[in-house]
Amino acid sequence: MENIIECRNLSHYYGKRMIYENLSFGVPKGHILGLLGKNGTGKTTTINILSGYLEPRNGKCMIFGEDIRKMRPGTKAKIGLLIEGHVQYEFMTIKEIERFYSAFYPKWKKEAYYELIGKLKVAPGQRISRMSCGQRSQVALGLILAQNPDLLVLDDFSLGLDPGYRRLFVDYLREYAKAEGKTVFLTSHIIQDMERLVDDCIIMDYGKILIQCPTKEILDNFRLYSCETDRVPESDIPGIYHPYSIKGRLEFGSFLRKNEVAALLAGNNIRFGQLSDKKATLEDAFISMTGKY
Amino acid sequence: MTKALIFKEWIKTRWYLLVCLTVMIGFAAYAASGAFRAVELRGAGHIWEVMVTRDAIFVDILRYVPLAAGFALAIVQFVPEMQKKCLKLTLHLPCSILKTTAVMIAYGLCCLTICFMAMSLTGILPLGRLFPHEMVSRIFLSMLPWILGGYSAYIFTSWIIIEPSWKMRIAYIAISALALRIFFLAPGPEAYNVFLPWLSAAVIFSASLIWLSVLRFKAGVQD
Amino acid sequence: MKIFGKIFLWLLVAMLAAWQIPWLIRYFAAVPSHVPFTLYSTVIEDFAMIRTEGDELEFIDRAGHRYTEKGFDSILPLFYARQLNSEGRFPDSVSGRAVNIHEVLEHNFFFNSHPSDINCKKTGIYFLMESCSGRVDLEMPDDAFRFISGNGTIGGKAWTDGMAQDNGGIEFIDMKKNDVLREKSEMFTSAMAEAGFSFPPKCLSGNPGTRKEYDEGYIIIDAADKLFHLKMVKGRPYIRLIDLPSGVVPEHAFITEFGDRRTIAFFTDTYDRMYAVCMPGYVTVRIGYIPESGIDKTCRTSDTADCTFDPTEESIYIIGNLIDWTVRINSETSTRYYAINANDFSLISFMEYPSEPSWAERVPGIQFTSSKDKYVKPRIRK
Repeated sequence: MENIIECRNLSHYYGKRMIYENLSFGVPKGHILGLLGKNGTGKTTTINILSGYLEPRNGKCMIFGEDIRKMRPGTKAKIGLLIEGHVQYEFMTIKEIERFYSAFYPKWKKEAYYELIGKLKVAPGQRISRMSCGQRSQVALGLILAQNPDLLVLDDFSLGLDPGYRRLFVDYLREYAKAEGKTVFLTSHIIQDMERLVDDCIIMDYGKILIQCPTKEILDNFRLYSCETDRVPESDIPGIYHPYSIKGRLEFGSFLRKNEVAALLAGNNIRFGQLSDKKATLEDAFISMTGKY
Repeated sequence: MTKALIFKEWIKTRWYLLVCLTVMIGFAAYAASGAFRAVELRGAGHIWEVMVTRDAIFVDILRYVPLAAGFALAIVQFVPEMQKKCLKLTLHLPCSILKTTAVMIAYGLCCLTICFMAMSLTGILPLGRLFPHEMVSRIFLSMLPWILGGYSAYIFTSWIIIEPSWKMRIAYIAISALALRIFFLAPGPEAYNVFLPWLSAAVIFSASLIWLSVLRFKAGVQD
Repeated sequence: MKIFGKIFLWLLVAMLAAWQIPWLIRYFAAVPSHVPFTLYSTVIEDFAMIRTEGDELEFIDRAGHRYTEKGFDSILPLFYARQLNSEGRFPDSVSGRAVNIHEVLEHNFFFNSHPSDINCKKTGIYFLMESCSGRVDLEMPDDAFRFISGNGTIGGKAWTDGMAQDNGGIEFIDMKKNDVLREKSEMFTSAMAEAGFSFPPKCLSGNPGTRKEYDEGYIIIDAADKLFHLKMVKGRPYIRLIDLPSGVVPEHAFITEFGDRRTIAFFTDTYDRMYAVCMPGYVTVRIGYIPESGIDKTCRTSDTADCTFDPTEESIYIIGNLIDWTVRINSETSTRYYAINANDFSLISFMEYPSEPSWAERVPGIQFTSSKDKYVKPRIRK
């Protein structure tokens, strides 16, 4: 399948601090891909590189087959960008901002914007600076929907939103993206939202990608294990994520089946008993993979 | 697209422009009325003599007004763009970023031109009734470096605001402060007559500095 | 655009550094050089000077003789005439010439010119006073004048029949109405044209003001390098061509209006030689020429002592009295003192203080202003 976003061997440092090295990933057309990672793992850095606002130390990013550093205006018109915090021109009113953006996009859908704004019960002359964070998020989303882009790049769309607005945003976005066959690349620090929204996810840890796979695969296969044991494994056991012990019980997550986990523990000379497993949510899987600290 | 960009700049600056225009016209009218009052009180002959022999130009009060206007316009125009890095939205518009930047700067320079013209016409035109054209043009030519300083203050302030790194901003502030001093060195009226064309060219060229800041912003430069 | 911007930025930084760094060095490291106050003494027939030694003043002459303050007053009796007179020490004669205090005070004068007085943009508007009003006090006129180019009009209207001045003219403006005084303009233009004046003038020197004893109007160098005297007498033009020695082309003129009325103007020519125009008769005499008898032996060569003065580059200060003048000319390289015989303007003596700029003053760089002019423009300081 054609990749709309293609990043190859991205490396970036802030001063001497490495953010990541040789990061590569692709986002297929029509997919909603979520970039998950703890604070400081480089989610916003990746979004900034993708939206052309950060020059990576090494590597290359292509969107629609074009180098993002030399993107033509026509290609930019196909990308809807949501900046972290739903940033928009706060000095404009609801009406003014729609009028402003409509001049730039040939496929502009005014009704899509006003449909969403209609739910907010705000006057058209209301200045964006005087709106709540939730209302601003709807304005930002409405503008992106009206722009009708082929690719949506959304940075931490859930930041500052209450559960109602988050749900509204997620539902609206998913429905829109699926109905129109749009490609979406997004980040969020609230993992539950991603579970409802993303087709694929990339889970990042400091300096690397832990996993990139369909969300369904994680939800179907990732399990949380618990057993009694007298010791915590001293070294990493491949296939087992971040084991930790609470009151003599060892807890960890893994994509392996129960019998495979039992064999793996035994093979590593870990005595255990009462091995139990349960299904994991995306958030469980994320925490299990990245660790609590 | 250009119209839309101008529309955005207009929304940011319209109230400021109204205030700026009012203040400038007010200052200029005050300066001009001072000359009329002086002629009324001391007689035309005395005022002419003061202008010829003591280098008086009656508009000294306007010296730093264009500078302040340029400085404030840049703040009004570009601080909102830098709040929460809104400039990212502007530069993401499907338009060449050079054109986007050029339209924003050209808008600012045009607004300043309108304000400066209003100030000059209010401050100088009425003086044509009191003084011969030599003196009127002397006043205008003496004011021109201040006006150029106003354009320059606008360009330098924009350059500083858009610059993403604070370390560089501080360096730019030092450079700008020194460069702006050049516009206020006059030991007497019409001191800049020979230098004015070169200074004007330098002011126009200095607009390229803003482009450097835009590129650094685009490259995500940080402290 | 990026490359252009970077080049501009570096040029700007380099220019600012070349401007400010030498300025900072000069500000903190330069030591001001003092040239002692020097005057020619008729009594000792040599230069005498006041030097500062710490907080003390030192009164000496060129030969190194020291004087008390009172002694110093005595060797410069014409300069310190008021002081000596107040102490009852004013002499009856100086250098064999009988003098009285009134005569001395009448002949004492000061004259100065600085390059920045010349190197600046003038308004082109001048005031011509009534030189012979019949009143003791002088009054400023109600009109001003300008010179106009030869476009065949006056005040935007055609000249009166027979008055067409295709070569320009002088235009008087009523200051109250800010309107051209047609009749007066035509009268003066006509008089000046008849006197052979070529418009527009190259140099104009006048001293309009009421704080002086008398008014002599203007000394003007016209477009054809001829020297004229223009004034207004009883409302009518007085214009007089001043005959110059053959080969003398005037360049800068200065009206004098000194108390003794002996000279009407000084001027310099294209070779920077200085002349006085003496009255009556507008007689032109070179100032500081070396007499056939030569000058005192302290001058190394006659070339060194040749009294030249470039008003656009050098400043001049003349302290004159009944018997001699001390002329001080400051240039970049030295301060020159000339003693001039007040009777025939020949050179009596000469001395020079070389200027030795400190290392801080020799730092090269860019500067925008100069003490020699009133312009702002970049200039390389070598």
